Formats: sequence, structure tokens, C-alpha cells
Amino acid sequence: MSGAGVVVTTEWLEAHLDDPDLVVVEVDEKPLIHRLGHIPGAHNLDWRTDIQDPRTRDIPGPAAVRELWAKLGVTRSSTVVFYGDKSNWYASYGAWLFRLHGAKDVRVLDGGRQRWVVEDRPLSKAAAAPPGAAPLKPKLDPGLRIGWREIPAAVRHGAQLVDVRTTAEYIGAVISEPGYPEESAQRPGHIPSAIGMPWDVMLDPSGLLLPEPELLGQLAAHGIDPERELILYCRIGERSAHTWFVLNEVLGLEARNYDGSWIEWGSMVGMPIALGEDPGDAAELERLAD
Amino acid sequence: MSGTERKAGPTGAAAEVAPGLPSALAGIRGELEKLRAGIAAIEGRLAAVEQEEAQAPAKERPRRYYEVLVAVYERGGRKGLDADAFGAVGKEHGYDRRGLGGFFTGSRAPLRRQDGRVTLSVQGERLVDSYLVTLGGEGE
Repeated sequence: MSGAGVVVTTEWLEAHLDDPDLVVVEVDEKPLIHRLGHIPGAHNLDWRTDIQDPRTRDIPGPAAVRELWAKLGVTRSSTVVFYGDKSNWYASYGAWLFRLHGAKDVRVLDGGRQRWVVEDRPLSKAAAAPPGAAPLKPKLDPGLRIGWREIPAAVRHGAQLVDVRTTAEYIGAVISEPGYPEESAQRPGHIPSAIGMPWDVMLDPSGLLLPEPELLGQLAAHGIDPERELILYCRIGERSAHTWFVLNEVLGLEARNYDGSWIEWGSMVGMPIALGEDPGDAAELERLAD
Repeated sequence: MSGTERKAGPTGAAAEVAPGLPSALAGIRGELEKLRAGIAAIEGRLAAVEQEEAQAPAKERPRRYYEVLVAVYERGGRKGLDADAFGAVGKEHGYDRRGLGGFFTGSRAPLRRQDGRVTLSVQGERLVDSYLVTLGGEGE
């Protein structure tokens, strides 16, 4: 489907709702918000159960994703548009996961659910129609994800770590944002050498993504070199998926999501941690390299 | 590296650091960074208190009360509603300015003002969750 970039407007989406190649997926932090209505034809995914492995703390594997794509009707010719609450925080994780598994045309609705509702666009409570076509076969793209073991070598080869949590989390004043006690690590702080750039600096006050020059301006203002490979993390990999979408898909930069994120790094024994405002020294990561 | 060095600041903010930068300017920047860290630490403590308060059972409220909270959640997104949008939400649900003020009072207030915008507190998030559970979904 042509005619829009990876970030689509509400106008574009409403005009294309009847397109048979369009698959609209809502992923919310509060999945029950779907009960108030959703974009007509949209499928609702629960981020805790549908886009996570149900047993291991991991992404769902190819078999589970193929099953999910069969349920949603994601085929080779599909354009998948994600949207959700909290300015697409969790929806972006869904977009990252689908791209990671090889879906080619994955987009995000600018402003998410918030924008659609504020503009009084139509909402429906009807369940999405079941699809008929054969689903796309997942093919993992390992270049979009990074695990903690790979981080020291990546940094040694020039990658820049970027922590997209709040400043309070970055400096170690809190372990998690208020309201997420179940998503806590054992220790506060950040990965040594990581630059702090909260994910929501990419949004304007109404929740829309900033224009590209301003996005690049935010990177510059935070001391991030767009020529370097960027490794993004947050608490559980969702806010960093939003930043990944912006950097990788919108700006065309080289970025990987460390979805293990702080809940993993800050809980494992012996991991180097930096506290306070100073990014800390990348050399501290070297003791993990052996 | 010649002339100037691009140095990432504490929260990531970059600054051009020229050789011989007046120490007064560096001092002011240092003070600013300390203030930011202090604010973050206070917010952390406030959040911990809010979280504790939110554990207690909530008082029964009229439906429109919850609808205001849901509207703040749904229409405010990550950054919350500005004063005008919040006023409009209140009016839509029959609250005047004084009535809306009640959403911000008490140790278990469901709403808070942050940077001039209205967002849910931890208690407000819990009230929205409990309200959504009472709504029927598709096929329910």
C-alpha cells in the first residue's frame, strides 16, 4: 500500500479503513481501554499475553508469531498499522516485534489512540472480521535486537548506548516509574557510558511525533551522534521500542533494541552500574567481555 | 579533537565545552544539574508515597467521576491534558472549575498537575483500571 510513510496520519488511516490489505492493530498499556471502542476493524492485542512468550521472559518465537499473524490476517501484501494508548508506547513494541520477525510494511499511527479520540473519529465495539488468507511466514532479523552479552563488544566497536527512561530512573533516584512496582529491577542506575534521552522528547505536547529536523535536533541536544550504531534500552524494552521506531524506521539510522533492558541488567549479579548524572565509563563494560 | 569538545551532560544534554570556559558558567551548569537531579529524587520519593497511598481501598464515586479520569488517560496520552482541554472534559461531564479542583486534593488525589498539564496520579491509574474492569467487552 503506498501513499504514506511509516508514520501515518489519522486522515490517511480513516481513508484506507476499507482497504483489504490493511491490518490495524491496537496495543495498549491498559488493554481494557479497548472496551470503550476501537478503530473500526482493529484487532486488540494484549502486550502481556499476545506479544510476549507466555513462559520464558522473551519475545514470541516464529511459530507463535505465525499463529498470531494467521489470527490477524497478516499476509505478504499486508500493511500493518499499529496504534495504542500512552502515545504508542506499547504499540511501538508491537511494531518492533513484527519488523523483527520479518514483516516488511509496518507503520504506526501518529498520535495513537489519543489523536483518534481527540479528533472524534469513528470508534467501533464490533470484533474484527476473521481473516482468510494464508499468513506471512516469519523470518527473524537479528539485526534489530541485541542481548546483554553482545553489548560490551558493540560498544567497543563504536556503538552508543542510549537510556530512554525518565531522568529519575537514569540517575538512580527511582528503580521504576511510579505505578510499575511489578517491573522493578534489583538495583537503580544506568549502564555505564549510556546517554540519557527520555523517549518522550520525541513527541510534542499533543502526542504527535516531532518533525524530522526536530527529531535530529533532539539527538544533537542530547549529545547523540546519528552516525554511530545506537543501542536503546529502557525498563522492559517498550519505551525503547518507540525510540527504535523513530530512529530506525523514521530517520533511517542504525539502531537496535536491547529489550532485556534495565529489569535484566539491574537484576543480574555482577553487572557494572553507573549512578547519578554522569554517563560513566564504557571501560567498565569490559569486565563482562570475558 | 580540536577546538571544542562535544560532551554529553548528566541527563544526556550536550554542551559545547571550549577550552578556558569561564568557571562561573561551568559552576552554574553544575548547579543546574544538581537541581535537576534533586527534582528527580523528590519526584521519586513522591511516587513512593503515592504508591503506598494507592493501596488503600477506594471510596465509591459516581460514574462521571471515573469518566473524567478515563478521558484524561485516553485524551492526554503520555504528556497529559492542558488546562483548556481538561476544562472541556470536566464541562462535558458536568463539573465546574470548583468541582474539578476536588480531583487534585487530598493525599490520594487521582489527578496531578505536572509542567502545567493534567495527568493521572498512581491512584488515578488504579481507579481507571478498576472502572474499565466494570465495562463489558466484545461478546461479554
